Amino acid sequence: MRSATSMATQVPALQRWLSPIVWLTVLLVLTLGMGQLEWLFRLIEPDLRQVIYRRADFLTLLGQHVLVVGIASLLAVIVGVAAAVAVTREFGRDFLPLVSQLASIGQTFPPVAVLALAVPALGFGTLPIIVALLLYGLLPIVRNTLAGIDSVDPQVHEAARAMGMTPWQVLRQVELPLAAPFILAGIRTSVTINIATAALGTTVGASNLGDPIISGIVNGNTAYIVQGAVLIGLLALAVDSLFERLQRRA
Amino acid sequence: MIELFDVTKRFGDETAVDAISLRVERGELCALVGTSGCGKSTTLRMINRLIEHDGGEIHLDGQPVRAFDEVVLRRRIGYVIQSTGLFPHWTVARNIGLVPRLLKWPKSKVRDRVEELMQLLGLPVAEFADKYPRQLSGGQAQRVGVARALAADPDILLMDEPFGALDPITRATLQGEMRELQARLHKTVVFVTHDMDEALALADRLVVMHQGRIVQQGSPVDLLREPANPFVESLLGGMDRGLKEAALIQVSEHMLPLGPRLLASERIPYGASLSQALSVMLWHRVDRLTVVDEEDIPIGELSLRRLLGAKVP
Repeated sequence: MRSATSMATQVPALQRWLSPIVWLTVLLVLTLGMGQLEWLFRLIEPDLRQVIYRRADFLTLLGQHVLVVGIASLLAVIVGVAAAVAVTREFGRDFLPLVSQLASIGQTFPPVAVLALAVPALGFGTLPIIVALLLYGLLPIVRNTLAGIDSVDPQVHEAARAMGMTPWQVLRQVELPLAAPFILAGIRTSVTINIATAALGTTVGASNLGDPIISGIVNGNTAYIVQGAVLIGLLALAVDSLFERLQRRA
Repeated sequence: MIELFDVTKRFGDETAVDAISLRVERGELCALVGTSGCGKSTTLRMINRLIEHDGGEIHLDGQPVRAFDEVVLRRRIGYVIQSTGLFPHWTVARNIGLVPRLLKWPKSKVRDRVEELMQLLGLPVAEFADKYPRQLSGGQAQRVGVARALAADPDILLMDEPFGALDPITRATLQGEMRELQARLHKTVVFVTHDMDEALALADRLVVMHQGRIVQQGSPVDLLREPANPFVESLLGGMDRGLKEAALIQVSEHMLPLGPRLLASERIPYGASLSQALSVMLWHRVDRLTVVDEEDIPIGELSLRRLLGAKVP
């Protein structure tokens, strides 16, 4: 009886996670087995000696890509949510218009420009790309967290206070859970954009899945460009479908 | 016991509440009535310090409310609002158990208390405990709101238009339940409403407010009999006052023992109000009604002539 019910709950669970699992599997298979597709890339670039990018293996590049995006996004979530929470408290109210304006305007600022500004300040390497991604990724998170907190019914907020919740309890148990779908949507946008943007890191000396693309552009090797672009696209799809899944649960 | 001494509240240049003094005895249901913007809600919310008063003092059982930590104060005071303010992401049971959990009651005690309250408010535990607020009707949601306010068994209950958003039938049902609940629990209640019938039906004491001041206060019958000015009189329904007073009186209070005469053909339950009895008389064009108990057994009669006679001082 018990095994029957647990089976029944397992099957839909697997189905629900199907799309992220599929994208992740395709991503990993392609990362590890790109060499096997040499015949395919020969069709694209029949005249070149080398059609598979070999300066570093794809798994290492993928790892570095995920690491950079992961660190930048984690920092962006912490800083972004904290900033949005701070300006919606009594003590930070004065900064609310400023921050919410910055959050909307900042979105229109191209990431390449952020990177161009970060390099002179921080030098070459992984640090400037993390800073650029952090700054760029902050904005959707701040904007959505503000929208989420703003969406909480003022009557619910008043009831929470009137029941004798401390400000911290109101935030943790009422405002943040009710704002969670908004915040998650903001993180999703932020991370997905950053996965694509991180490829620019190559131009400032941070090695990642952008390497084959830039190298392909420089050497006129379309096969390299396709390899980098496909892996970045798959990574974005896998992460995006994972977030879609999480959003539906929230 | 709640006492207000010359309490004032200003919003900018506007004086919302103007030096009002008020005393609500322990176990008393006090209704604050008035048109919108008269300061009744502001007065209510100053008691649990959702709004801080600018002048005067507010005391609970002799202690100024400012002497309490506001969080501690609010956990001791039940609060019910028109929109319920239930947390949409929590189940009914979790909503009701909020204040006991804030007070760190042991889990089993919280669960027992939640079930006890759900039964008290007519919400079957099996059916409602795991529902979310959006799955409830207006009346059910407001019952949950009242249960949540009563959860930690506060002495004081503040209610701001609690039944204002409900349809007339549900509202009447909940008013009836509220009266029974109050008869059983004897909370000190401050009840804000703009519905005079509701105030007359529920209140031990009526406080009429106008432009931030108290115009008159007293028992419902006192106010109906002797309104202080034309404003109170119009608020009380003008020429309808006679019927409104009759609505407060039970048939059983004016019932005569069954006489040797034949039973009157029309019947009225002994718990009905005098205004309902008059309505039945008008409808059937009779001046006598047979008063019956719950089992429809005649226990007395009501005579229009005696009723009119009884009214003459």
